[in-house]
Amino acid sequence: MTAAEEGDAKEEVGSTWRWFWRGFLHAARLPMFVMALTFLGIGSLAREAGVSLGVALASTFLVWAGPAQVIFFGALAQGLALPAIALSVSLSSVRLLPMCVSLLPLLRRPGQGAAMSLYTAHHIAVTGWVESIRRLPGMPQNARLPWFLGLVHGLYFAASIATVAGYVLSGTVPREIAAGLLFVTPIYFIAALVRNSREPIDWLALALGFALTPLLKPLIGAGFDLLAVGLIGGTAAWVAQRWLNKRKAENGR
Amino acid sequence: MTQLDWWSGGLWPYAALILFGFLPSEFWRALSVFVGRRVDEGSPLLEWVRAVSTALLAGVVANILLTPSGALATVPLAARLAAMAIGLAAYFALRKSVIMAVIAGEAAIIGFAWWFGP
Repeated sequence: MTAAEEGDAKEEVGSTWRWFWRGFLHAARLPMFVMALTFLGIGSLAREAGVSLGVALASTFLVWAGPAQVIFFGALAQGLALPAIALSVSLSSVRLLPMCVSLLPLLRRPGQGAAMSLYTAHHIAVTGWVESIRRLPGMPQNARLPWFLGLVHGLYFAASIATVAGYVLSGTVPREIAAGLLFVTPIYFIAALVRNSREPIDWLALALGFALTPLLKPLIGAGFDLLAVGLIGGTAAWVAQRWLNKRKAENGR
Repeated sequence: MTQLDWWSGGLWPYAALILFGFLPSEFWRALSVFVGRRVDEGSPLLEWVRAVSTALLAGVVANILLTPSGALATVPLAARLAAMAIGLAAYFALRKSVIMAVIAGEAAIIGFAWWFGP
């Protein structure tokens, strides 16, 4: 046995935890800080809404979707009726459907049951998706789920500490810093989407999603506008890519 | 205030969080498990769903920039877009680093917030 083969054998033994740890360390490079800054704002908002620290923390673990939490506590602070809050929360989380549908096949193991898929799906949110959608295909099949779970547990760790810190510090942050905290999500998501973009379909979906929002917002209100932006922009990008592929194949002949 | 009074009692806030926050959101994740069963890795359907997700996420960002809430709303729209452009310029100038994009964009938005402050 060569030294390399010996190394491979060793890697096989502790590999699940090794991949989990690698995912966790990947989260520690930047995503954890982004999560922490975002959830400082959510903790602070929860306090303004008048709920207890326990409810604020429970929302982070149960809902696990920043925008949904912002809507939930924001609407609560404004005194909106609970069924109306539920509808707004649900509309903001429609985006989880295509994200889970595109990520779950990469995380699925042969013969996996629905319960395990539901458990995996609960951990999928925007940050986890944007970090793993392009990285998972290059990993060995058995490494993907542990790596992904390591990644999201790093995110949970950062988000839960930040929820508590934001709750405690609520109202003491200067305006300039508060503006900076709210800007973390947009700048990080755009930069991460640009990093993930490789083919025309990615660039088109990104550009169309951005450009269609101000156009469709006045036409389709009440939270449905985002859904239309995703469907129209995503479909147009997909059709364009297929057309490009077809032309390339024809020219190649 | 009646709603807040109702909120403050015992386990009710947790029940309300589950009914009006957790379940409406989790519904879509649960649905994805059943909808996505037959979607295979590398299929054109997966490509389409990924493109829809990307466009949706770009739309989320555009929404935050166009109609921000709280302190970000005190910064003018042109300055918010400029901070985004500065962040992306840093990404391409500094070896395609997402970290540098975030740092540059943050420095810009905090600077603008200070400059346009009351």
